Amino acid sequence: MVLLYVFLGTVFGFALSRSGAADYNYIQGMFLLEEFQLYGIIGTAVLIGIPGVYLLKRYGRTASGAMLIVRGKPRHRGNVAGGVLFGIGWSITGMCPGPIVVNIGEGKLYAIAALAGALTGAALFGSLYQRLRRPFRLPALQYGTGDG
Amino acid sequence: MPLILNEMTPLHWAVGGAAIAAVTLALLFLSGRRLGLSTGFEDACSLVLNAPYFRRSSLLGDRDWRLQFIAGLLLGGFLSAVLGSGWSPTWDLGMFDEVIGWGAGAKLVWMFVGGLFIGFGTRLAGGCTSGHGIFGISNLELPSFVTTATFMLAGIVTTNLVYRAWFQA
Repeated sequence: MVLLYVFLGTVFGFALSRSGAADYNYIQGMFLLEEFQLYGIIGTAVLIGIPGVYLLKRYGRTASGAMLIVRGKPRHRGNVAGGVLFGIGWSITGMCPGPIVVNIGEGKLYAIAALAGALTGAALFGSLYQRLRRPFRLPALQYGTGDG
Repeated sequence: MPLILNEMTPLHWAVGGAAIAAVTLALLFLSGRRLGLSTGFEDACSLVLNAPYFRRSSLLGDRDWRLQFIAGLLLGGFLSAVLGSGWSPTWDLGMFDEVIGWGAGAKLVWMFVGGLFIGFGTRLAGGCTSGHGIFGISNLELPSFVTTATFMLAGIVTTNLVYRAWFQA
């Protein structure tokens, strides 16, 4: 199974790298509404993903025959507040979380600073979780805000 | 427009999108797991930090597969460079260099600050482009539509401020 996850990650990383999803210029072009590329990528992924996830859930089992249960993410005020912060960060760096790692793999040195910042930000968030819970109506600590 | 990486021509968007969907669905079918990368920041934190948030079992139970997937991302980026005119360390940052033009040190500060927003923001939002934007929307989850619309809008506002108001070519 280790090899499966590494393999899927490698295909995913290669696709992000070669499609422009990990490219600073294409990300800025998307946010400037000048480049269709990223809208095409995300749109295609979702247009295939919606029927794909629906059919797999209806089939109800994984390849090994185990029950397939997809737990939805919780809804809370962090969705909007965190979305605003993340959008600002995606614009500043030109990278969302996956592409930070892809960019490091490509040899882009500044991406290491983006990763250091992201890890610091996540560490800060986790340390403040109990204090952020009430204002943002976050789930109990053992559940977290939503995986992924 | 060529990629910054070795000035390669990018894949057609339909090919990139189909590959992303294929990995997302393969991950779900083969392992029952939902795609999502920003939790990987928490996984990494949980290796060294002892705050209760990083010790919860829901995090630790999913840590290994996601870190393996992320190791794949690193390898995928590396192979993309190696198989496409070669890998070499670079500071190239495309239009940032042309329009803003800061050197390596300032770039590191800019990227670290942006990273802080990404790490804190994605974890507060409960996901990023992959977990909310790709998987959550594919699964028609309301919080994912809300979060994705929000971060797209925030990105549009920020980039327009940076490149149309504060710095201009």
